[in-house]
Amino acid sequence: MRRHLKLLDFALASLRRRPLKSWGLVVVYAFTVAVVASVLLLTRAIREEAAQILVAAPELTVQRVVGGRHEPIPLSYGDAIRGLPGVMGVEARFWGYTYDAVTDSTITVMGASEGLQGLEMIEGRLPTTATECAVGAGVAEMWGAGTGGEVILVDAESTGVPYEVVGVFRAPSEMLTNDLVTMTSVEAAVFLGLPDGTATDLAVRIANPNEVDTVAAKIKRAHPDSRPITRSEVLRTYDAVFHWRSGMMLAVFSGALVAFAILAWDKATGLSAEERREIGILKAIGWDTADVLELKVWEGLTISLTSLMLGLIAAMVHVFVLGAPLLVPVLRGWSVLFPELRPAPFVDPYMLFAIAFLTVVPYVAATVAPSWKAAITDPDEVVRG
Amino acid sequence: MISGHRRLRAVALVCSLFAGVASAGEEPPPPGPKDRCALCGMFVAPYPAWLAALVEADGTVRYFDGPKDLFRYALRHPEATANGAALWVTDYYTTHPMRAREAFYVTGSDVLGPMGAELVPVASLELAATFRADHGGERALAYDDVDSGVLEALE
Repeated sequence: MRRHLKLLDFALASLRRRPLKSWGLVVVYAFTVAVVASVLLLTRAIREEAAQILVAAPELTVQRVVGGRHEPIPLSYGDAIRGLPGVMGVEARFWGYTYDAVTDSTITVMGASEGLQGLEMIEGRLPTTATECAVGAGVAEMWGAGTGGEVILVDAESTGVPYEVVGVFRAPSEMLTNDLVTMTSVEAAVFLGLPDGTATDLAVRIANPNEVDTVAAKIKRAHPDSRPITRSEVLRTYDAVFHWRSGMMLAVFSGALVAFAILAWDKATGLSAEERREIGILKAIGWDTADVLELKVWEGLTISLTSLMLGLIAAMVHVFVLGAPLLVPVLRGWSVLFPELRPAPFVDPYMLFAIAFLTVVPYVAATVAPSWKAAITDPDEVVRG
Repeated sequence: MISGHRRLRAVALVCSLFAGVASAGEEPPPPGPKDRCALCGMFVAPYPAWLAALVEADGTVRYFDGPKDLFRYALRHPEATANGAALWVTDYYTTHPMRAREAFYVTGSDVLGPMGAELVPVASLELAATFRADHGGERALAYDDVDSGVLEALE
């Protein structure tokens, strides 16, 4: 044990003797780890957020499609769907978007009674009359309008309509509520300009997950112009989109990765004449080949573990504390709003292990191999060069 | 004296909560993560849509991972199902518990339970016909028509 500690001590001392090379390696190494880990952490966290949103989503969402475009769906469709076996409930939903020119952002307007599970009122209540609305915490902050304030929204006829804010709410995922304004269902339908007797879509609750596809097929048969979307389809789409985006980002950064690989390979494998002489001298004064190799393993581990830790910490600070300012513009992009994205910290141990394994092991192997070659040659030859 | 009774009742209530005891007339309590099928030993909590339960006359609750195992157990232990024991299965369409004797069971459909081919419980013959139209299926059986021959055919 004492021997190993002495060797570790020697390894640290020898790293300190070459501060420029050691620190240079650590900085580049840590930067690369930080980039890769940031991408993985952020996409993972956003996918978790999306999954949280979808927990409250209905098993089946039914839209009406005309000419390949999403159109308001007649409420009468819902009555037929309600009678299908396995359907526990059908709810008409009224929602849509409006553009707020003052803050230059897109607002989601939604009827208050539907699809709002998981909303937590911070203050006030949900709207009950046509002139009231409740807003998400992000919207309230953006407009500076709390309970008792008034907001003006532009309706389907381009008229500014004033609403009294009677409540502010929040959900586990900020993405859901940051751009959301709710009003009564009747008022939402009028505001959005939906024709009488129609809704934006229908949310269908199905008790048995085995039966979702059957119900979807029956709805499609009964109403060929409808498009039933299952929750698992939505989840798959989200997954595919985020996988694609993270893959794209990794491709962009793959240049950095290759540069790092070349640098590490060069620094680690190309033993300088000085280092070869050092190994020769160590052998000459009685070190075994095993001792030399252990020394080099310690050096490699010290460099790569230090860099790994620094890189991971940098990535976590970047993503979870700062909100990933360097990556967010690339990753999201379906709405201008989301004033501030602070993904809930979510760390996958498997991912950390994968990063560690892909960086530490090759690096240590790359440092040890040439040292072994130097260590098994005759010291005399090595020292004389 | 009264308070003594009350305390006894409270103790009995607490015990019943921990020991998986239920009154034979009520719906069985939902299974915990460690509850296993009384026949095959599988954990039952991950499959709520197939859960079956036997509430014996003394209140002991036994869970099963599907109606198939409930029937097998009942055939092997006729004494356990006698004397006012209640048998429960989960309705395929509503996933609510329903009494096993009131359900109809569809065999040979394309819907598989956690242990493969299953007797799929539905609430009425009409729903059984709908189910068979959607998922195939050979027969719709009443509770008393499910015998060892039917169970063997599921293998």
